[in-house]
Amino acid sequence: MDQTPTRPTPPSLDALTRSLRTPLGRVATEHPDALALVRLRVLPQAATPPVTVPVACFNSAI
Amino acid sequence: MACRCGAADPDPCRPISQFVLKVHSRCDLSCDHCYVYQEADQTWRTRPARMAPETVRAAADRIAEHVRAHALPAVHVVLHGGEPLLLGADGLREVLATLRATLDPWTALDLRMQTNGVLLDAGLCRLLVAYGVRVGVSLDGDRAAHDRHRIFAHGGGSHAHTRRALALLREPAHRASYAGILCTVDIRNDPDRVYAALLAERPPRIDLLLPHATWDRPPWRPAGAGTPYADWLGRIHRRWVADGRPVPIRLFDALAPGGSAAGGTEAVGLAPADLLVVETDGSWEQVDSLKVAFHGAAGTDLDVFAHPVDEAARHPGVAVRQSGAAGLCATCRGCPVVERCGGGLYAHRWRSGRGFDNPSVYCADLWTLIATLDRRPAAAAATVNGDRGRAARRPADPIAETRPETRLEERPETRPAEQPQMRPETQPETRSETRSETRSETRPETRPRNGQLVDGRAGERPGSGRAAAVDQPAGDGQPGPDAQWLLDELATGHGGPAALRLLDETQLSITRALLATWRDVAGGSAAWELLADLDATAPATVGAVLAHPFVRPWLVRRLERPGTPGADLLPALAAAAAVRAGVAAPVTVPVRAGAVLLPTLGRLPVTGPSGALVTAVPGGFRIRAGPTDRVVPLTAGPPPPPALERVVPLTAGPPPPPALERAVPLNAGPPPPAATERVTAGSGGAPPSPRTAERVPAGDAGDPPPAGWQPVRRVPVAGGEVAVEDTDPERDCYDQPVAPRLAGAAAHALGRTLAGAWRSVHRDVPAHGAALDAGLRCVVPLAADPAAPLRSATARQAYGAVAVTPVPGPETMAVLLVHEWQHAKLGALLDLYDLVDPVSAHRIRVAWRPDPRPVEGVLQGTYAHLAVAEVWRARATAGGADAAAARAHATRYRDWTRTAADALLAGDGLTDLGERFVRRLRQAVEGPDAGGD
Repeated sequence: MDQTPTRPTPPSLDALTRSLRTPLGRVATEHPDALALVRLRVLPQAATPPVTVPVACFNSAI
Repeated sequence: MACRCGAADPDPCRPISQFVLKVHSRCDLSCDHCYVYQEADQTWRTRPARMAPETVRAAADRIAEHVRAHALPAVHVVLHGGEPLLLGADGLREVLATLRATLDPWTALDLRMQTNGVLLDAGLCRLLVAYGVRVGVSLDGDRAAHDRHRIFAHGGGSHAHTRRALALLREPAHRASYAGILCTVDIRNDPDRVYAALLAERPPRIDLLLPHATWDRPPWRPAGAGTPYADWLGRIHRRWVADGRPVPIRLFDALAPGGSAAGGTEAVGLAPADLLVVETDGSWEQVDSLKVAFHGAAGTDLDVFAHPVDEAARHPGVAVRQSGAAGLCATCRGCPVVERCGGGLYAHRWRSGRGFDNPSVYCADLWTLIATLDRRPAAAAATVNGDRGRAARRPADPIAETRPETRLEERPETRPAEQPQMRPETQPETRSETRSETRSETRPETRPRNGQLVDGRAGERPGSGRAAAVDQPAGDGQPGPDAQWLLDELATGHGGPAALRLLDETQLSITRALLATWRDVAGGSAAWELLADLDATAPATVGAVLAHPFVRPWLVRRLERPGTPGADLLPALAAAAAVRAGVAAPVTVPVRAGAVLLPTLGRLPVTGPSGALVTAVPGGFRIRAGPTDRVVPLTAGPPPPPALERVVPLTAGPPPPPALERAVPLNAGPPPPAATERVTAGSGGAPPSPRTAERVPAGDAGDPPPAGWQPVRRVPVAGGEVAVEDTDPERDCYDQPVAPRLAGAAAHALGRTLAGAWRSVHRDVPAHGAALDAGLRCVVPLAADPAAPLRSATARQAYGAVAVTPVPGPETMAVLLVHEWQHAKLGALLDLYDLVDPVSAHRIRVAWRPDPRPVEGVLQGTYAHLAVAEVWRARATAGGADAAAARAHATRYRDWTRTAADALLAGDGLTDLGERFVRRLRQAVEGPDAGGD
């Protein structure tokens, strides 16, 4: 049966404001929570978390 | 919803998205800490040295089969070994071609490789770039650290070889394939020297790997040392924080609160391990590091020839590592930091007799390291990326500088009378080097809008600047003070300057977050590096480009369907920012539908190749595409140097005709029903149409290409200027056709109408005029349709723009703009707060449509009509011959608003926040400006 999920929690105003004051190149590393919340909020239909970067377990820097 | 794989419900279905292909099982180094050869597992001895082509094909087919079964939008395939470069160029090309040919049609294939770098040369680098492979290189630090373990069989060190490989990857032509550095920790090395050596290679990312160990074979620790690995890593962390986190270090990012989502590491965290390994003989194996536990520990007895991915994924050893905390030992399950460390790397939990049901052998170190990280949060860093100095001393955004910095405070009557006209892009020559230096040194407190620097400290937002996230609903369901303030401000119908500014800033922040997400998906690129570099030194300029309303629709489309064909907008964004900043950094911009688009600037039709090289030059930019070599001036300056092919003037044709403003009677009438209420495109109503291929608005590609530069035309309006956006293909996001590029006369006519409409709004309801000034950047012409001549639209993802059919009168246009801008504002607010219960199936009958409407649609219509009622009320109050008609319109819209608000409050479709919002809105309906008698 299809399940309709509740809408993901939105990012907070403060998180968005702080992120805006961060250089673009460091947003992903300094605000991972905000990124994840924005992704879930704005891209609810994305099938998989696109920010998953794989295989670190795996003895790799990639 | 059940998965396509046929699983009965979502729980048993855990698709695998990461595959490691052991394409060569031997290595040209003889590292004494290698888990493949030096640990318990010795299965490599009986396997083929290299993966045969038929095994590669079988593995690729299995992955493709899995992709189709689960509709996976992306998969990651890592070439590993041994040493994958032992395949040689031809062997590597064959593997990569097979993977691309098999998987590209079905999904976004992310190709990676982990190598020691010894064999890397320029030819291989070109091959890796050509196939889009991103490469991680193993480097343990300075020479002493690296050559402690990473040695050839003859005993010589490999440090120089690895550094040469890294230098090759840093070259601009290869940089896109440079993924990062893997460093295995040895606490006998000097952490400061290791850190400095890693940073010197300018890697996009660093990962620090604890040396493999188990409870049977614990890691080496000096006598009496408690947590030496935490201490060693903590030392590096301190340096890293002090340096302003100049490069992502995955272990630290992953151990941060919530970091597992961004860190992407299985070494820590509770994220499911969706990874399988294919050995050179085609065997499916569990994660490679298990080889440290016992001989055959990673085996599954399954292979790619006979067994699909789903069967391998159901192997108990794989499944247990997808079960989060439930798969951990009791000690870990009861630990307060289990969500941070996730029990550590699976292999590190092994103990003979108890299996993997233990904490990590590094448990104490992980605990201490997490405490260290928490004491010294990385966000406290204040210094900047060392690379940012490269872009210093750049001129500021010429467009930004021409915009008034006090726009929100301006009133129509204080401005010179507008003579509606089209004007070309602003003048780069007006840039001030002195000013730009000042601006490039300091990051503004808040970001720009349309290039402006806005002092966020001047706002009235309560408690702004507090570190805590106080705007979320409190535990009792009551909203925090920031939420209350913002909701109350906007529920009045318009909102004050600070609230509108905050709304604008949060939209830009969301776009930046999505762009950073896209960078993670698509991988690094020269365009990203340039854009990030510019953002560090010219944030106003980059902000003005990223605030372009159609950046987010593109991002959403690509991120929701990452396998969908389509151009990468990132190079165009970087090029536009570089041109606006006057930075002569060449960027290859994809040619789309026969043209090069520079968002916010314009579009240039070109013929020939798929990419054009765009470089800023004084006064404009140079573009080279095949035989074309042009300078496009952004001024009406002198002709270009004779050696260049031609000048493409940026002006929009002949001077406009004399103003043809005419009186528009107040009884121009309200918009037709079609324009009075809608669930904005993409807002949760009817899903947007699938976009399986790049869309180009009708007429943009089909008409004969104009000969020259097509600038984005900017219309001076009461509060500044607004762009008529008819160049960007991404503007086609309104679920109705947009007009192709307007001819000069039509554009001038629309400009006059918009300028008049803006004056009208400022005259009628100044607060709504200020709201337009605060965020409406673009107006998109919709295609004409005789059956529906008056239409307007807002796209939920395209804040900052509205779409309209060109209408003859500014008074009617004014109503459309106010109406649509209400939708845009409410859409932005809905990004921040849940006002509507997402699971409510409640439907409400409204006066403006015959069909029962969903709650969000009613809320949207109500909010729009509140503002429209105010406009008509103001016109009625102004008197004149049409006052009676205006009064009738005002009464009707007020009554619609009142009735709909009451219906919303009577139903069960609003959240607590939504109810608060609508109650305030309802109060505004009874206010003196709300319309009616």
